[in-house]
Amino acid sequence: MSKKILLAEDDEDNRDLVSFVLQRSRLGAELIVAENGQEAVDKAFESIPNLILMDMQMPVMDGWTAIPILKGDKRTKHIPIIAFTAQAKPEDKVRTLEIGCAEHYSKPMDPEELIALIRKYLAD
Amino acid sequence: MGPDKTAAKQCLLSADRFLKESRFQDARTEIEKAKKFDPSNVYVLAFLDRINYFEAQQKKEAQVSAAKAHPSPAPAAPSPQPHAATPPPHAAIPQPVKPIVPNVPKPAPATTEVPLASAPPPPVKPKEAPEPVAPARSEHRGVETTLEEMKRQIEMLTHSLEQEKKAREDMSKQQLQSTVLQLRTSMEKAWATGAPNEQEEEALHKLAISLSIPENVELSLRREVKLKMYSTAVKEVISKRQLLRSSSSTLEWLRKVYQVSMEEYLEYETKFLLDLVADQYKGTLLYVTPNVKTKDELIPRLKAAGYAVVLSGTPEEALEKIEKINPNIILCHTEFSPGSLSGVKFLHLLRASAKFNFIPFLLLCESPEVSQLKSSELRQHEGFLKKPVDVDELMIAMNEKLARFRDYVSSLS
Repeated sequence: MSKKILLAEDDEDNRDLVSFVLQRSRLGAELIVAENGQEAVDKAFESIPNLILMDMQMPVMDGWTAIPILKGDKRTKHIPIIAFTAQAKPEDKVRTLEIGCAEHYSKPMDPEELIALIRKYLAD
Repeated sequence: MGPDKTAAKQCLLSADRFLKESRFQDARTEIEKAKKFDPSNVYVLAFLDRINYFEAQQKKEAQVSAAKAHPSPAPAAPSPQPHAATPPPHAAIPQPVKPIVPNVPKPAPATTEVPLASAPPPPVKPKEAPEPVAPARSEHRGVETTLEEMKRQIEMLTHSLEQEKKAREDMSKQQLQSTVLQLRTSMEKAWATGAPNEQEEEALHKLAISLSIPENVELSLRREVKLKMYSTAVKEVISKRQLLRSSSSTLEWLRKVYQVSMEEYLEYETKFLLDLVADQYKGTLLYVTPNVKTKDELIPRLKAAGYAVVLSGTPEEALEKIEKINPNIILCHTEFSPGSLSGVKFLHLLRASAKFNFIPFLLLCESPEVSQLKSSELRQHEGFLKKPVDVDELMIAMNEKLARFRDYVSSLS
């Protein structure tokens, strides 16, 4: 059974780019897309993905709110979450780790680096 | 063969039978019928000639028999049949004509697949009705007609064979095109997101074999599809380059994903670069540098500035490429390895060419050469910069030379 990755990202270009990179990564993972935090939470409960890539700044519900919900639910608390953000300040990184993210990834993205990171968490 | 042609053939066979029985009028009636069933049948006229010939021959024999039975009182009278002693040419000639009817060309197997059967036979010239001429003249005329008919048959067969050959060639070409298209579609699907895995490659190869596609065609197609899909991916990713940390590392990653070798990349470099900079394309820059294989920091800066950069390791190589790429500007070092032309010599060669002597040209030279170049008569669209090159200074100089070039081109109109 193929592994599932949930991408929560409000920017269409970014979603397309992650999809483009994942298709060419040959990871064979299924990509589930959510356009805001609320949708991400709903889809995570519904599909129980193997990994979540979460943009921190989104409309309706941002990543700072969505991640604690996911980490507080027994169905999804085990899922590794990579905070996907343009905020590259050191304190942001610390904060994302504090709310339960496994990793902090700063945009703009580098395809090879992103694939390596995803591969690492899918293998675990 | 259509029903009319079959009926015509039956009539011709009946006419042949009547002819053998010397029933000339019946034979003629059958021929008339055949003509009605198939007006384009070329054997009808030939058959009429045969009937005329045999009828004349029979009359002649009857006359000779009558003369023998009632000998003429004047033996010195000239014979009305000067050729009677020699065998009539028709006696031999009908032989090849006779099998005409059974040999009415049948459609070849290929003609069932290609529209050969519908090919019209060569036009039959209308013939005059046989005149009641003297037998010798009639014989001669008969020979000519038969020969003409045989010639026409040969022409018709040759024409049919040529048409069949062409049809077969067209058919195999069409078949190849269609199979190649089928393989290409499968390849494009397999290469859409990068190089296919081993199983997919194996499946594509098996498909090529099953479609009888030659191996060289398969390999060429594979390369074409690979480069096309890579180029498409480059375009797609570059349209989102503001979201990427580094365009060059992304392109390098894509090169690996599509298994595009460095040689292939360099071969298609101009095209790829044009794809990359399409929205900010400033022109094609020919950069003649001895440092092609080493890392030249100038190249990414030039590319980032919107130039499609084509590299040449020597002025000689540049001369080979220049026709193909038609550059908008040339940057050239002055010193190259021993045996190669110098940058200045290259400039002089271009000056001598009516086609390239107006292309903006910048020499990149060492300090000692500066005074020499300063004193030389450089034209308005030519210039030089001292190494190490300051990129901003280079951009200013290039813009200036390009502006002069634009002014020059505008002045022409």
